[in-house]
Amino acid sequence: MNKEYAVLPCNGLDKCAGCVSKEVAVILSENSESEIICPVLFHTSDARYNKIAQEKPLLVIDGCATRCASKLAAEKNLKIAEKINVTEEAKANHITLGKGLQMGEEEMKLAKIIVDKLTQVQKAADTEDAIAFPASLTYEVYKKDKFVFRLPKEEGFYFSENDVWAYVVGNKARIGVTDFVQKSLSDIMFFTPPAIGNQIEQFEDAGNIESAKAVFEIISPVSGTILAINEKLMEAPELINQNPYEQGWIAEMELSDFESDKELLLTFDGYFEVLKRKVDEFHVKH
Amino acid sequence: MSSIKVIACSGIGKAMGLMAREVVLQVTDKLSPDTTETVCLAHVVTGDEEAAKKVEGCTCITVDGCPAMCAAKSVEHAGGIVKAKYRVIDEMRNHKGVDAGTGTALTEDGWKIVDELAGKISEKAAELTKEGQSNG
Amino acid sequence: MDEKQVGVLSCSGEECLGGTIARLATRKVMETLRPDNVVTLCLPLYIAGGDEERDFAKEYPVIAVDACDKCCAKRATIKYSGAVKDSLVLSDILGEDVVLSKIVSARDLKEEHYKMVDKAAEEICKKVDKILAE
Repeated sequence: MNKEYAVLPCNGLDKCAGCVSKEVAVILSENSESEIICPVLFHTSDARYNKIAQEKPLLVIDGCATRCASKLAAEKNLKIAEKINVTEEAKANHITLGKGLQMGEEEMKLAKIIVDKLTQVQKAADTEDAIAFPASLTYEVYKKDKFVFRLPKEEGFYFSENDVWAYVVGNKARIGVTDFVQKSLSDIMFFTPPAIGNQIEQFEDAGNIESAKAVFEIISPVSGTILAINEKLMEAPELINQNPYEQGWIAEMELSDFESDKELLLTFDGYFEVLKRKVDEFHVKH
Repeated sequence: MSSIKVIACSGIGKAMGLMAREVVLQVTDKLSPDTTETVCLAHVVTGDEEAAKKVEGCTCITVDGCPAMCAAKSVEHAGGIVKAKYRVIDEMRNHKGVDAGTGTALTEDGWKIVDELAGKISEKAAELTKEGQSNG
Repeated sequence: MDEKQVGVLSCSGEECLGGTIARLATRKVMETLRPDNVVTLCLPLYIAGGDEERDFAKEYPVIAVDACDKCCAKRATIKYSGAVKDSLVLSDILGEDVVLSKIVSARDLKEEHYKMVDKAAEEICKKVDKILAE
């Protein structure tokens, strides 16, 4: 997953390092959902960027030891999530920056090295924390009229009677809703995620999803701490309709008491019967 | 310059399909009748010659109800140059909690959303017409 | 199957009144007249690759409802799922001039239009009942 930053480059015109800071910001904004904060505009009129600065983690790119971007961030009371200093990066990578303000081969190389470093940091974080979810799933299906309700058969999946699933690996779990939920709701338009860091008991609220038809409270099937949410759902909640078990997953949790929680959950065989009964009782009509 | 083709999915299953249909009718019949026209999507995809001629290589705007994007996919497949793709569901996301109606009939709120989206598309069509005129 | 199901695939012709009537008649049959036995299939989704629509049409009998004699719904069903069980062309019931007349917004439908919808819905129901009786 590419992290999204609010990127504040120094964009300095005193040295080439300032040009490199701008180039890094531009590459990040083109290759991910990161957004650039123009330091000049931000300094004179911050209204335009306040929302981005609050919603996304702040990446500050200083060109040199003057650290203008860091100082601007401090002046605006922003919390800095990550910092890059272009001159220091150049030294560490044995790159000599030109004296002029034109970006040459070496400067472009340095910009790419910095972007790669930022991407690799995120990839390492993703790998460490990510749950080992199967690359593809095998489904049993139940059909009603033209509608097909899938249920994954893999071991590791647990289901609650509230139609929420948990895929458990070690002391972590990924949760989401079943096909019954997404079909009943039809086109899902809004996703209110649980807050990262929140501790949730089994059967407590873990956010909600909403369509034109109804609001569905996501009742967590397990207790634990929210580690991550599926950020793609913020822009595209319809991913839940496409596949609620794969690209439409809701959140990842660190489990606190799965041995107890498990006793109140169903595996595939038990929940498939529940699913069939619910589908038969709920005639999906638009 | 030929009219801009504004094409709806007209999905029968959902209110958003009806809304897409009505949006296109509003644009082509009331708001921008001189610069836009609609083409029957079913004619286009079943290979009707007249319909295919109207779309192939021409500037099109598609209006889909939901993320399935049937109109956009089908018009592109038929060789239409889709310069703007609209989804009613995106407009609905600006109206949280609103009941727009069913695939048979819209509520007053549903009609308001139709009118809003039709207005936006009409502006887009004007922009594209101007672009087309200045490109000769 | 618990209850017999019949699929109805209707055109929604956006260039003529017949498309509006076909659509409304089909929905009336599905929602009110034969709610337990009729499933509507969405033509644009069907054509664009909707697996659920196409698979249903392969397994269950389908009635194609078209406004005009171009028969888009019927041809699409035959192309993607095999034969149609039955079909209806509204121009045969309501007259070609009426069906091909200018499209009317749902906001502007009048009593006469709703009568056309009822007439078309009645014909669809006859065909549905014939299939159910088999």
